[in-house]
Amino acid sequence: MAKLKVASERVDDRQQLPEVKKHYGVLKNYVNGEWINAESSKLENIENPATAEVIGQVPLSTAHETFKAVESAQEAWLEWRETPPISRSRYFFKLRELMEQHFEDISRIQVQEHGKAIDEARGETRRAIENVEVAAGVTSLMMGYTLEDGAAAGIDEEAIRSPLGVFASISPFNFPAMIPFWFWPYAVACGNTYIIKPSKQVPMTQQYIFELIHEAGFPPGVVNLVNGSHEVADALMDHPLVKGISFVGSTPVAHYVYRKCAENRKRVQAQGGAKNSLVVMPDCVLNRTVANMLSSFYGCTGQRCLAGANLVAVGDIYQELKERFIEGAKRIKVGYGLDETVNMGPLISGDAKRKIEGYIETGVKEGAKLLLDGRNIKVDGYPNGYFIGPTMFDDVTPDMTIAKEEIFGPVVSLIRVKNLDEAIDLIHSSPFGNAASIYTQSGPAAREFRYRVQCGNIGINIGVVAAMAYFPFAGYKDSFFGDLHGQGQDAINFFTDRKVVITRWF
Amino acid sequence: MVLKSSFPEITTFGSLIRFALELENTAVGLYEGSSKTYPDVAALPLLAGVHRKRFQLLEQTRQQKLNEMILEAIHELNRNDYLVETDEVNGSPLHEVLKRAITLEEQSFKFYGDSARLAKSLLAEASRIFQKLAKVNGENVGTLNAIPV
Repeated sequence: MAKLKVASERVDDRQQLPEVKKHYGVLKNYVNGEWINAESSKLENIENPATAEVIGQVPLSTAHETFKAVESAQEAWLEWRETPPISRSRYFFKLRELMEQHFEDISRIQVQEHGKAIDEARGETRRAIENVEVAAGVTSLMMGYTLEDGAAAGIDEEAIRSPLGVFASISPFNFPAMIPFWFWPYAVACGNTYIIKPSKQVPMTQQYIFELIHEAGFPPGVVNLVNGSHEVADALMDHPLVKGISFVGSTPVAHYVYRKCAENRKRVQAQGGAKNSLVVMPDCVLNRTVANMLSSFYGCTGQRCLAGANLVAVGDIYQELKERFIEGAKRIKVGYGLDETVNMGPLISGDAKRKIEGYIETGVKEGAKLLLDGRNIKVDGYPNGYFIGPTMFDDVTPDMTIAKEEIFGPVVSLIRVKNLDEAIDLIHSSPFGNAASIYTQSGPAAREFRYRVQCGNIGINIGVVAAMAYFPFAGYKDSFFGDLHGQGQDAINFFTDRKVVITRWF
Repeated sequence: MVLKSSFPEITTFGSLIRFALELENTAVGLYEGSSKTYPDVAALPLLAGVHRKRFQLLEQTRQQKLNEMILEAIHELNRNDYLVETDEVNGSPLHEVLKRAITLEEQSFKFYGDSARLAKSLLAEASRIFQKLAKVNGENVGTLNAIPV
């Protein structure tokens, strides 16, 4: 019998999705509505972490050209702030449609430069679009409020939200599409202008998205892209016309950004690192719990601030939890994220891989028992990729380095505790406070966890507590410096100032 | 023969959709191919069109519904339950083509029914879509059975 011819060859393609391009050349900056070459001659290679091949080069722009971008954004602001909110929102409707049309390309470029699995990239693209959708509702979100006779009889009082000027974001490598969208759509919809500095490790996704921003027709200077490194970041924080900075990255750098912006009298929201605990109670639904936790610990190869790090087994669930978790972890397929059957991609770089291997070595030296060792994993067809397989330690104690420090890789530390109080104490012993989750069928236990745990994001039977675009996102303690979080109404508050008007007519 | 892409070791919502897309693609191929051999059988190109639209609906579902919170492992599906033949049927007698098509529709019915049950706690919207697709598979079996051989 002959073979059935499939309607489209796409079935075969979808096992190994095509790359959007093999090489992206030297990236450009987008300033004042134009693509321009960076003044700087300094270039850095962009690698595909699954292959270690160079797929593009990013310019390390200078402070001088960053200042020029700020001045251009300031000039654009004068007109943009007088553009009615309903008109501003229309650009976002257009951008949203363009992003839907180019959804697959945006997702695949993320995989190429970051390494995450294609479904994770699709989820990220969706998150970026959702922020555009929410920001497009600026006409409602930005409304002020009025109280008749609010000051006295015949004297009305109202509060108006006003844009402030130029804002900027400094983004990390782990979510090349989404993270700038936690901020800039809200800022621009509110009538501010904006500069994005993507991570120099993953600048191509934003480069591609800026083609869509250009096509959407935003006026020149309203949204700008400056590629580079710390020189660009410092220039943005130094320039007096920049009114505020949104940062996501490690805690030491977040703290630096917070201090520097405060010194320069800027608004700032600086998101830092994490060490998230997932607490498993004896009454949990174990099969669903393990399935959910696997994606928290190993999704995005552990390179996200909401990733699980410490697996906290409460009481007698320990043995069965350990066995089921190992069984599940062994089934994770590691490889190039453009292979549709892959569950977990490589780490971002050789440096990241070496750092995580160092943590694994430290765990062994400090006496933890290595149950799953992801080092030296061989991935067929990708001998040079920065892969580490699912890794798991048992007999981890809270004082060990691997239990305390942010590893940012696919390494799980299994810690045993006697009861919920001990689990919460363990969470609170960390300087971080980004996220924590509990797996239980007990309402009282879940309620106590939610009430007592000092983290910005709490999961109840959810291991990746990623706030939707219409909810605020940030952590507590050393995971966040600032007050107003990203996304939603918090973003509107961050990007506007309140002006009170008291009116009396004679 | 099984579909070229079956479930990976860990099944997730993403891999369910991916498998569904391949089922639909296979159905489109079967109906398009056989409608050329049997141009007088009006139901064949119509069914090809039905499955083409279902393919688009599934792509749209993946694009709009998939996020990291629902990318957790699903272990309850056994891929051996959904194997379909992909051998070519061009030139086969009509009754063989219809038999193959009915098997494909029945396997799809089973796959979507099971997936709807599993997706219910992950994503109710996707579960509803799977239920509707299964219902149409059932209707398609009726259509195929009504074709005179």
